[in-house]
Amino acid sequence: MSVSGGRIALGAAVVAMAAALPFVAGPFWMGLVTQMIVFGLLALSVDLLLGHAGLFSICHGSFFAVAAYTTAILQVRHAVPTVLAAPAGLLAGTLLGLVFGLAVRTRGVYFILITIAFGYVVWGIAHRWSSFTGGDNGVTNVPFPAVAGVRVDSHTEYYYLALVVAALCALGYRVLIRSPFGLALRGIKGSESRMRTLGFDSNRHLYAAFVLSAALASLAGVLYVYYNRFVNPVAASFPVSVEAALMAIVGGSGTIVGPFIGSAIILGLRNWVSSFFELYAAIMGIVFIVAVLWVPEGLVGLAARVRGRTARV
Amino acid sequence: MTTSAILQAINGTSLAALLFLVASGFTVTFGLMRVVNMAYGAYYLLGGYVGLSIVQATGSFALAVLGGGAAVTVFGYLVDRFLIHHTGENHLAQVLLTVGIAFVVGDVALKIWGGDSLKVPVPVFLRGAMELPGGMIYPTFRFVLIFFGVAIAGVLWLLYTRTQIGAVVRAGVDDREQVSATGINVDRLFVMVSALASFLAGMAGVVGGAFLTLYPGAEWEILIVALVVVIVGGLGSLGGAMIGAIVVGLLDAYGRWLLPEFSYFVLFGPMAILLLFRPQGIAGRAA
Repeated sequence: MSVSGGRIALGAAVVAMAAALPFVAGPFWMGLVTQMIVFGLLALSVDLLLGHAGLFSICHGSFFAVAAYTTAILQVRHAVPTVLAAPAGLLAGTLLGLVFGLAVRTRGVYFILITIAFGYVVWGIAHRWSSFTGGDNGVTNVPFPAVAGVRVDSHTEYYYLALVVAALCALGYRVLIRSPFGLALRGIKGSESRMRTLGFDSNRHLYAAFVLSAALASLAGVLYVYYNRFVNPVAASFPVSVEAALMAIVGGSGTIVGPFIGSAIILGLRNWVSSFFELYAAIMGIVFIVAVLWVPEGLVGLAARVRGRTARV
Repeated sequence: MTTSAILQAINGTSLAALLFLVASGFTVTFGLMRVVNMAYGAYYLLGGYVGLSIVQATGSFALAVLGGGAAVTVFGYLVDRFLIHHTGENHLAQVLLTVGIAFVVGDVALKIWGGDSLKVPVPVFLRGAMELPGGMIYPTFRFVLIFFGVAIAGVLWLLYTRTQIGAVVRAGVDDREQVSATGINVDRLFVMVSALASFLAGMAGVVGGAFLTLYPGAEWEILIVALVVVIVGGLGSLGGAMIGAIVVGLLDAYGRWLLPEFSYFVLFGPMAILLLFRPQGIAGRAA
C-alpha cells in the first residue's frame, strides 16, 4: 500500500487538530482525551495479539497495573525520580509478560481461560496484599513526571506528552506489523499448521508477540499512573482487560487507528451515559452484545464496507 | 490447629459442593456445544436474588430454590436462543457477548436489589450450629450443603452414565456431527442440557446466597472460581468437574486460612502450572 497524497493530508490535519485541541477544549475534555489516548494504547497492545496473531488475551490489565504500581510505589514511597521510576514500571510489566507469555503453549478457549486466571492472580494480590499495594485505596499522590529539571506542570502539558508517546508507538507498531515478523504473525493467525509446515516456529513467534504486547500495555500503565495520579486494584481488574479488547473490536481489530477510535467511543459513551443514566454498566454490556452481533469488523471495517458500497454505486 | 485444619476441610468441601453446581453446567455445555458462557456467574447471582425475593414473599426456602432455578432456566433459554445462537463456534464472540450479558444482569440486579450484602434466610431447622463428632461446632447449613451437593452430583452422574439421554450427551461431546447424522436432534438436546445447566446455576445462587451472601460482584467471584474448577478438571468432563470442585474447594479454604494475602495465588498458581503441562486438565481429552 503506497502512502497517497490524500493520506498525508489527512494525517497532517489530524496532527494539527490534536495540537490545537487544548486551545478550544477545557480541562475536563483534555483529561478525557488523555484517558482515551492511554486506553487506546492499551487496546492497541491487546490487538497486537488479537488482530494480528489471533490470540484473545484477557490479562493485559495485569501488565498495565503492575507497571502503574511499580512506578507509583517507587515514585511515591521511595522518592525515585521519574527517569528511573518510569522505565522500572515498563520493565516490571514486561517481565511479568515473560512469565505470563507461557500461556502461548495453549490455544483457543484454553488460552482465553488461562489468561483470565492469570489476570485474577494479579488483581487478587493487588487487592489482598494491602501492606505492600495499599489494598483497595491503592497508591495515591503520584506526582507529575519530571525529567532532568523539565517537569510537566499541567494536564494540558501531559496531554501533549501522551500524544507524542502514542504517535511514536503507533509508528513503531506500523513498522512491526509490516516487518517479516508481523507478516509471520498474520500467517499464524490465518493458518498455523501451514506456517509450521513452512518451517516457522509458531510458539516462539507468539511468545515474542505476547512479550511485545505486554511491554506496550506496560507503557500504557506508566502513562496512566502519571495521568491518574493514583492506582488501585481496579486497574488490574477483569473489566479493564476485557474492555481493552472490546475497544479494539469496536474500533476495528487489526488496524492501528481502530483501537484508538474504539477507546474514544467507549470512554466517551461511558462519560456521556453516566452523566444522566444510572445503569451505565448495563449500557456497556449492551455495547458488548451489539458489537459482537452486528459490528464484528468494527467501525473501521464498517466504514470500509460503506465506502466500498458507495464506490460501486 | 488440628481442629482448624479439619474445619477448613469441611469448609472446603461445602464450597466444593456449591462450585460443582455452577461448574457442571459450564463444562457440559462447553463439551456438547463448544459454547463458552461467561454469564453463568450472573445466572448464579440472578437465581440467588430471585430466590431471596421468593423467600421474603412466601417464607419457603424450598420454593425459593426451585423458583430461583426456574427463573434462570427461562432467562438462560432466551439468552441461548436469541443471542449465543448467533455466535456459532466463535469463542471470542461468545466470551465478549456473555460478558456483556453478565454486565447487564449485574447492573440491573444492583438497581433492583441494591448494593448491600444480602443473605437468603434458611429454614429454621437448618439455622445455627451443630456439634460434629469430636466436639467441633459447625454451621448446620454448610454441613447439610455437602450432602445436598453429593446428592445432586450423584443424580447427575447417574443421568450421565446410566440413561439413554446421558449416553447421547456423552456421544455428542465426543462427536457432534456423528450424533447428528444418526438422526438425533442435537439442537433440542442442547436446549435440554442448557436448561438443566441454567437451573443448577440458579439453584446454586439461592443455596450460595444463604451462606456466602449475595452482593454486586459475587457473580464474577463465583464464575472465576468455577472456571478454575472446569479447567483443573478438564473442559467438557463431568467427572473432572467433581474432582476439580474438591481440589479447588480445599485449596481455597486452606489458602484463605494459611496465606490470606496470596489466596488467589494459591488457587490459580497450581492451575496455571497444570495448564501449561497438561492443557486438557486432569480428566479432559486433548482438544
